[in-house]
Amino acid sequence: MASTSRLDALPRVTCPNHPDAILVEDYRAGDMICPECGLVVGDRVIDVGSEWRTFSNDKATKDPSRVGDSQNPLLSDGDLSTMIGKGTGAASFDEFGNSKYQNRRTMSSSDRAMMNAFKEITTMADRINLPRNIVDRTNNLFKQVYEQKSLKGRANDAIASACLYIACRQEGVPRTFKEICAVSRISKKEIGRCFKLILKALETSVDLITTGDFMSRFCSNLCLPKQVQMAATHIARKAVELDLVPGRSPISVAEAAIYMASQASAEKRTQKEIGDIAGVADVTIRQSYRLIYPRAPDLFPTDFKFDTPVDKLPQL
Amino acid sequence: MVPVFAHLTCSSTSQVLQTLDTSQSNRLFSNCPQGAMTPGIPIFSPMMPYGTGLTPQPIQNTNSLSILEEQQRQQQQQQQQQQQQQQQQQQQAAVAAVQQSTSQQATQGPSGQTPQLFHSQTLTTAPLPGTTPLYPSPMTPMTPITPATPASESSGIVPQLQNIVSTVNLGCKLDLKTIALRARNAEYNPKRFAAVIMRIREPRTTALIFSSGKMVCTGAKSEEQSRLAARKYARVVQKLGFPAKFLDFKIQNMVGSCDVKFPIRLEGLVLTHQQFSSYEPELFPGLIYRMIKPRIVLLIFVSGKVVLTGAKVRAEIYEAFENIYPILKGFRKTT
Repeated sequence: MASTSRLDALPRVTCPNHPDAILVEDYRAGDMICPECGLVVGDRVIDVGSEWRTFSNDKATKDPSRVGDSQNPLLSDGDLSTMIGKGTGAASFDEFGNSKYQNRRTMSSSDRAMMNAFKEITTMADRINLPRNIVDRTNNLFKQVYEQKSLKGRANDAIASACLYIACRQEGVPRTFKEICAVSRISKKEIGRCFKLILKALETSVDLITTGDFMSRFCSNLCLPKQVQMAATHIARKAVELDLVPGRSPISVAEAAIYMASQASAEKRTQKEIGDIAGVADVTIRQSYRLIYPRAPDLFPTDFKFDTPVDKLPQL
Repeated sequence: MVPVFAHLTCSSTSQVLQTLDTSQSNRLFSNCPQGAMTPGIPIFSPMMPYGTGLTPQPIQNTNSLSILEEQQRQQQQQQQQQQQQQQQQQQQAAVAAVQQSTSQQATQGPSGQTPQLFHSQTLTTAPLPGTTPLYPSPMTPMTPITPATPASESSGIVPQLQNIVSTVNLGCKLDLKTIALRARNAEYNPKRFAAVIMRIREPRTTALIFSSGKMVCTGAKSEEQSRLAARKYARVVQKLGFPAKFLDFKIQNMVGSCDVKFPIRLEGLVLTHQQFSSYEPELFPGLIYRMIKPRIVLLIFVSGKVVLTGAKVRAEIYEAFENIYPILKGFRKTT
């Protein structure tokens, strides 16, 4: 099975008849084949696949792989060190059953804190089901901040949480501070402070949050159908365009829009439910709702099917 | 309508201010009376327009800095009056034969014969009064001296100072316990904070007095009041028996606030001034603008209110506001 063709920067081997042809690698047979004429140009190419296949139900102590874990070259400083493994025979244990050679520590003392932080980041991201690309971006950000040492006095967990927040923002799927707070032990205030410090230290900036960024997540957490979600998105966008809610946080406006859309549809949600999902107080939702309520007929999309007509919407 | 005046923004150099200073003080006392005496020639507004009941104000403050501010503010007020006057007078312009000079100084005695168009901010060397053009129209543009950003008038809004924080060294070690026990309006809780918190009613301020003899005075609304309050606290400490002195009084921070009277589009502002602004509606509803020169932090809100802080002198607050005002005007909400 031909693998993806490699574009050689320094073509060491080329087909003698077709010097411009890009050779195709057949790793199973260890060949490099010219696609034009089929000539096998390089053979006995070393197979870079794994030596053994290991399964989780095999006896775990007898892992025959001799290469160890995959490297993390971008992050840790190159993990090319080796460790002395645990002893297997009887000679490696002394009379009490403790292993005689116990040095498995200080493998990467300079990166210990960093590896701890990566572990923490992975744990946090796992709690809110963030994809691998966000975790990688967070790790990169953390490494940059850590190497700069300008935020050295701050708790690593706080910096990790703030990096996670920035990574979500940069990937275009922002999470609210409260959502990051929920999976971290750091307070919102501290995460906010670290966030501003990191932006200054890395000299980057992030886009402003909009109401539409959160709609799909909040609506699916509330199990609202797609029409309600689209209506809520439309309402929130229109409310901001018409400047009905000056100075309000986009989260609060989104919440009020979801409330209005859900109340107009068959799937009604209370303010308390919406507030629990979004981390917004229900008085805040009430305040924003009061601001958009007067223009309710203008805010709904034109093709919306009202279960409760506009004039019967609850007025708080 | 061509704005005839070249307007001085507060970011001008201090030299400009000083030359203004001297020329203005000359004008204050020489232009007014003589211009009025000249019969038959309608007079364009001198420094003090007649009939407004204004008299040239004597300089009251002891602070040399505030002299400059006073004059700046006077200029701004006068400019506004100027513009009103100018509009009235342009209607009469066809009738009037006006001799117009390109600058108004030549403020010496004989200047009263040629009524001069008051031009508040030109600083060119004044041509002799006799060489003024004979047929100027009021619309002749003056040569702007200070480079003016187009359509930038000084805003006419003056930030009000809300809080001044100052420190002073009383120069001797203090026993906080005796101070707390004997002084009125003093609280001392060493487990919570290692200083005596003392308050006086006039000027309404609070002071933190430390055992090393250093003191922080907060809450005053002007530099003079802060100094006066600090002196009062020092006197209280002195009366309690400590050899208090008044060394190194320094104002550490000044906070001012004002209202631009129109709503502002913060999202637009953060997009264009990204390297200075920080706007996180989740964290704080206002935009935090860190101006580099002068080094002032401004909190800008959607309603149009602006808070300026981080200044060591009053002029920095005014300068910062004059710098931000045209920017804010550009982001005015149109609905």
